[in-house]
Amino acid sequence: MNSLIQRYAGSSAASQQRRNVSTVDDDDEFSDAMWGSEAGFGSLAKGVPSFMVPSVPDPAAFLRLHTDDHADPSCKIKIQHGTTTLAFRFQGGVIVAVDSRATAGSYVASGTVKKVIEINPYLLGTMAGGAADCQYWETYLGMHCRLHELRNRERISVSAASKYLSNLVYSYKGMGLSMGTMICGWDKTGPALFYVDSDGTRLKGDLFSVGSGSTFAYGVLDQGYRWDLTDEEAQELGRRSIYAAGHRDAFSGNTCNLYHVKEHGWDFIGNYDITTLHYDGPGNVSGSPGHGYGYEIRVEGQTSANPPEVVAQA
Amino acid sequence: MFLTRSEYDRGVNTFSPEGRLFQVEYAIEAIKLGSTTVGVRTPEGVVLAVEKRVQSPLLESSSIEKIMEIDRHLGCAMSGLTADARTMIDHARVTAQNHAFTYDEPIKVESVTQAVCDLALRFGESVHDEGAMMSRPFGVALLIAGIDELGPQLYHTDPSGTFMRYDAKAIGSGSEAAQSELQSKWYKQMTLSAAQTLTLQVLKQVMEEKLDHHNVQLAQVTPQNGFEILDEVNLKEIIDAM
Amino acid sequence: MPDTTSLDHPAQRAFNPYTENGGTILAIAGADFSVIAGDTRQSEGYSIQTRYAPKVFQLTDRAVLAVNGFAADGNMFVKKVKQRLEWYRHAHSKDMPLRAIARLIQTMLYGRRFFPYYVYNILGGIEEDGTGAVYSFDPVGSYEREACRAAGAAQSLVQPFLDNQIYFKNQRPAHNTSHPVHLPLATVLSIVIDSFTGATERHIEVGDGLEIYVVLAKGRGLHGLEGVRGVQELTATDDGERVFVVRRELKKD
Repeated sequence: MNSLIQRYAGSSAASQQRRNVSTVDDDDEFSDAMWGSEAGFGSLAKGVPSFMVPSVPDPAAFLRLHTDDHADPSCKIKIQHGTTTLAFRFQGGVIVAVDSRATAGSYVASGTVKKVIEINPYLLGTMAGGAADCQYWETYLGMHCRLHELRNRERISVSAASKYLSNLVYSYKGMGLSMGTMICGWDKTGPALFYVDSDGTRLKGDLFSVGSGSTFAYGVLDQGYRWDLTDEEAQELGRRSIYAAGHRDAFSGNTCNLYHVKEHGWDFIGNYDITTLHYDGPGNVSGSPGHGYGYEIRVEGQTSANPPEVVAQA
Repeated sequence: MFLTRSEYDRGVNTFSPEGRLFQVEYAIEAIKLGSTTVGVRTPEGVVLAVEKRVQSPLLESSSIEKIMEIDRHLGCAMSGLTADARTMIDHARVTAQNHAFTYDEPIKVESVTQAVCDLALRFGESVHDEGAMMSRPFGVALLIAGIDELGPQLYHTDPSGTFMRYDAKAIGSGSEAAQSELQSKWYKQMTLSAAQTLTLQVLKQVMEEKLDHHNVQLAQVTPQNGFEILDEVNLKEIIDAM
Repeated sequence: MPDTTSLDHPAQRAFNPYTENGGTILAIAGADFSVIAGDTRQSEGYSIQTRYAPKVFQLTDRAVLAVNGFAADGNMFVKKVKQRLEWYRHAHSKDMPLRAIARLIQTMLYGRRFFPYYVYNILGGIEEDGTGAVYSFDPVGSYEREACRAAGAAQSLVQPFLDNQIYFKNQRPAHNTSHPVHLPLATVLSIVIDSFTGATERHIEVGDGLEIYVVLAKGRGLHGLEGVRGVQELTATDDGERVFVVRRELKKD
């Protein structure tokens, strides 16, 4: 009975961390468990997802050969990649801001990607790296957070949730997952923020930015960050940082999605077009500077194109 | 030639010559030892009520848990060997979450009931690759209440893995008297508060102790709030208004 | 004389189970309809294997799936999706809703994360609330609901055209007017046909035939579909969504 319970409970460390890969034909994954209530869960029929792996000596190399567009731009399977994301903790909660561009090689595959994954009403995850890896595993994390809640009659802490995700992706280390995410939420300890990536890194911190545009975002973020930022100032800082990344990093852009995690859960603040931010600013929202972020807009009449009149020295 | 009756009730996988599985029938008997549990379905939602047997004044009655949440839209009340119910309810929860993960929609009440019943039949010898199975049938019956696109529903499951949908159902030690009471008092357009009162009245009749907010538990599933166990303050109000 | 030069150095062979079969698919969602289309040419390298290999498949009364990339993977994937839809029907006694199919496709694609299907999927149809919807997927299952999407060989030719015609990107409406949020069916159909004739002109892997599936929400009239040449109804029931296919010829050179 014990092994049965373990299988169905799916909460034991062993069953969760066990790497489920099958090298056999994937018809086998359905086996005889496919009659009855497990019918239709596909690779999830055994409680933990299982994955088919090609029967080659080095599956990771196989995957790299066919999907890694950094090493080989002509490879066939172009997996979408996410790009600039940031999150920071401050007195009023956690601000999460991301861009919305997905690129496959140099092609802009989408300009409307939701890089903030709403794990549940009080946890957010961000997407950088493989779009599918982040979407799938963070949704999967959401399912386990819910099970934790049902079994323990209390919400999972952000720390535990992020550790669950980190252990999960660590068990696939070397297989080719690509994920850089920030898990943001509010628990008994207050606002909480963790960085988790597919290498197995898990860091607690006040301020992170992930993706190819992160250096540009950090530039603005580090300069304007304070713990005692007001809600409006914090939201503006998030927007302004993503704008900077969208402006200077070719792999980032299109729009900015802004979220604010507070004690009662997260709020979606808004979606801002990067081009509109450049020319007109975020519009009539709290914290708005009332003008465009672009420097040539701010210093109109003071650039080389139309320099200010030089007052003749006496 | 034939084995005597007492020899047919040893194995869980041996039919008697009359075609009975005695171990399963004994498991169904085990439920009749359990505390009384009542479920009532109305167009506004489903109400579940259980009797908590507080055997000692030193027992913390709040630690007796006989109604459990499966998911936001699904609740479950039990009678019989409640320890067995934990395995079943955890299976129901995992199934509900797997469904939500795979299909991005809440699972149907009937589907989750079916899932629990599939598990109920997994006793006996193991199928080739399945490892050790359960050695005996579950000794518990469940009332599964929930709401889906077909509206509020109430299902009853027993150790044989059979499930049926009911408008109102009682299980446990007082179930016979309770069921006939439900049969005469239930009507189609019942309100949720009428159902709350009905379940408590039925429990009151079959309980040995005097019914109060410590020795019963009331839960409901409604389209607005999903599954919720009523707190003692709410429960006391309903009992006082009875 | 036998060629011995090839034995001088050990040749490394990589396992390459993929090929690219060309073609293009696209889908556009309207307020109460969805249009899913694909050409029917299948090619490998510079040679055309067949002029009629469908890439668009009806899944349920209100869902249509278009697949593009490696045809063998695509066909197998559609077969497996249909199998799962059948199992779902048996287990839950109803047709799978569109958003459930979208999530199912994600989990099926991701189940092959380490041995991907080389398939770009676009799913179109009608949601439970009666709105038209399009979901687009990458080969390993990241997905998103959109108003329109093109994929395949001529993606980079067609998508900018759709951005312009559907999203009115980088256009300013005429004074005192605004851009429509949802386009009427007749307009969408002509945009689809123009997309494919345009792609056929400029992309060697696109052409031969065009199949346009149209899914209409429950109770919606034919508005925009009447009088369209080559339209054929595929609906099996008479009280739900309606599915049509419009078949057209494309240039064959």
